Amino acid sequence: MLGLSFVELIELFIKVLIFPGTLFSLLFSIIVIWFERKFLARMHLRIGPLHVGPFNRLGLFQPIADFLKLVQKEIITPSRANKFLYDLMPMLAAFLSALSIAFIPYALDPSGGYWVIFYTPLSLLVILVILTAKPFIMVGAGWAANNKYCTIGALRAAFQLLAYEIPIVLSLAGIVIATRSFDLARIVEAQSSVWFIILQPIGFIVILIAMMAELLRRPFDIPLAEQEVVFGWPTEYTGVQFALVMVAEYFDLCVTASLITILFLGGWSGPAIPLLHDISPMLSGIFWFLLKMAVITVIVIMGRGVFPRLRIDQLLESGWTVLIPLAIIQILITLATAQWWLPLIGV
Amino acid sequence: MKLSMGPQHPVTSHFRFILDVDGDAVLNFEWDVGYTHRGIEKMAENRIYIQNIPVVERINSYCDAIGTTLGYVEVVEELTGIEIPERAKYLRVIAAELNRIASHLYAVSLVGISAGFETMLMWTINDRELILDLLVKLSGQRITYTYPTIGGVRWDMPDGFKEDALKRLDYLEKRLEDYYKMMAWNRTFQMRFKNVGILKPSDAVKLGIVGPNLRASGVKADVRKDEPYEVYDRFDFEVPTGKNGDSFDRASMRLKEIEQSIVILRQALKDIPKGPIKGSPKGSKIPPTAPRGEAYSRVESARGEFGYYLVSDGKSKPYRLKISTPSFRNLPALPHLCRNVPLGDIPVIFITFDYIPLDVDR
Repeated sequence: MLGLSFVELIELFIKVLIFPGTLFSLLFSIIVIWFERKFLARMHLRIGPLHVGPFNRLGLFQPIADFLKLVQKEIITPSRANKFLYDLMPMLAAFLSALSIAFIPYALDPSGGYWVIFYTPLSLLVILVILTAKPFIMVGAGWAANNKYCTIGALRAAFQLLAYEIPIVLSLAGIVIATRSFDLARIVEAQSSVWFIILQPIGFIVILIAMMAELLRRPFDIPLAEQEVVFGWPTEYTGVQFALVMVAEYFDLCVTASLITILFLGGWSGPAIPLLHDISPMLSGIFWFLLKMAVITVIVIMGRGVFPRLRIDQLLESGWTVLIPLAIIQILITLATAQWWLPLIGV
Repeated sequence: MKLSMGPQHPVTSHFRFILDVDGDAVLNFEWDVGYTHRGIEKMAENRIYIQNIPVVERINSYCDAIGTTLGYVEVVEELTGIEIPERAKYLRVIAAELNRIASHLYAVSLVGISAGFETMLMWTINDRELILDLLVKLSGQRITYTYPTIGGVRWDMPDGFKEDALKRLDYLEKRLEDYYKMMAWNRTFQMRFKNVGILKPSDAVKLGIVGPNLRASGVKADVRKDEPYEVYDRFDFEVPTGKNGDSFDRASMRLKEIEQSIVILRQALKDIPKGPIKGSPKGSKIPPTAPRGEAYSRVESARGEFGYYLVSDGKSKPYRLKISTPSFRNLPALPHLCRNVPLGDIPVIFITFDYIPLDVDR
């Protein structure tokens, strides 16, 4: 079957179903949603979710309860909506977001190779291509719902995502130039002695900000601005369709955190954790990977408690006039200084 | 594209805006009010004077109930010529200023949420609760107090109220610094609120804007100073004014006014004399029948000038009670400022004027 041996097949199942596939990404979403609610509640001087789940006053199972509630709800399609596109888009959003996870290597495989569902030397390029499909989904969903708020929100999303993809691609260019590879695993290996956050700090800042805009997190949640366009392009979705939109959002967060970890924070590299390392060196790598992901996630979440929302013209202005020049400067610096530090990363 | 914003919308509450939107720019702005009209002026004609206090309170129940009822009892007292004791005057000022603080904190919280700044909303709403607790001690209610009554106030201060109030005011003064920092040190906040919806002083006067919004434009006008009622002429306080008249000034004006309210409260709590709290020593149970005539009173509520015009034909019920409310008088500013602006500025401009739909419609 598929030209795989029995052991390889089992391994593939583990990868797809457990880590880094379905179970991990769903668990990540649930934990992040819970953490976001509790953490923001603390910033707001509130208590946050309280009663659901074990451990008193933690509300640990609140996201699961919310998800179950959403699944139970009736799916309502507006009578004037384009039914096919309207029903398709949430599924497509969740599918595409989940698809990116298949190309991200999470650790070194003990038997050689990488712990990744589908290995390709062009993994970074594939993820970028998937990223460019997001505005299409938002515009499609916003248009299909046939609601004025949805349409305005979708158009805002299209503007914002198109403007902020360019700095992302440009700041990735610095790394691709340095490592001469689109292979995420290769990029991690290049950082075995020094991380790219030190060699390319401007690129890191640019990509962090641009990724927050890409994820529509505050202060860049303009397409979803409650006070202006109610909820932007997913306004009309209810029940399980809304749940899919939410899941896609947090899958995207998972992909983004993984991507930044790999590109700038050295992926799974880190000193061996004694206890985990004894069981398997891979576990130690996964530990470091998840820790770095957590740091990025907390930074992204924190924006919601600290900033008011920007206006669309301010956002586009800062995208075109600040982030893109900064990313280009980073490329120029990379080109100018590469000869000194290229040996450091083994090129 | 015509966009009907409200009356079911997260930010407009019971207003409806009819916007001409081109992409993200608002070309034309019209308001449509009247969704909360209850006919309070007509209701007031069918009730005796003392029954009308809770009725007029419903004009503005959840924000500045004391400021609303104070104007009404004053106009009745002016018509009937009832003298009220000194202590009652001080208690009225204390209640009014506490309620002004609560109302302004509520306004600042909405300013935060108008640009999606949830932290500001939660912090200010949290601290508003401290002031509401004080008002509970004073009157027994959280939002609809019915505290001032014709000829005095309903209840006296409980024991320990003074110390408790001073302690809470000290805490609030410290917290005000945090709020200033939230506004002035947060670059994103300034980007959203500075130079947005600039209302020039001449335009503000021409449009008939009142209250903190007028003062934010740089016009020094405050009924408490210009035409002191109760005992406001005995206190030493300033009337803060803004410089640019933009949304940032209007938002920070609320914080400055809270500061001045704290100043007034401290003096009032210190100077308050002993004595009765109601006009008649036994406590009048019979509502007064006002003599034939007319009277007008105005008070500075949290949102601005409340005006009450009362006509009596000598019976036990008012012949006509005309109420002019601050939110209604601030309404002309919106179409003036909301044309040719980005859609994102509409909630910011709207919220910084601190409208209450109940107040607009009566």
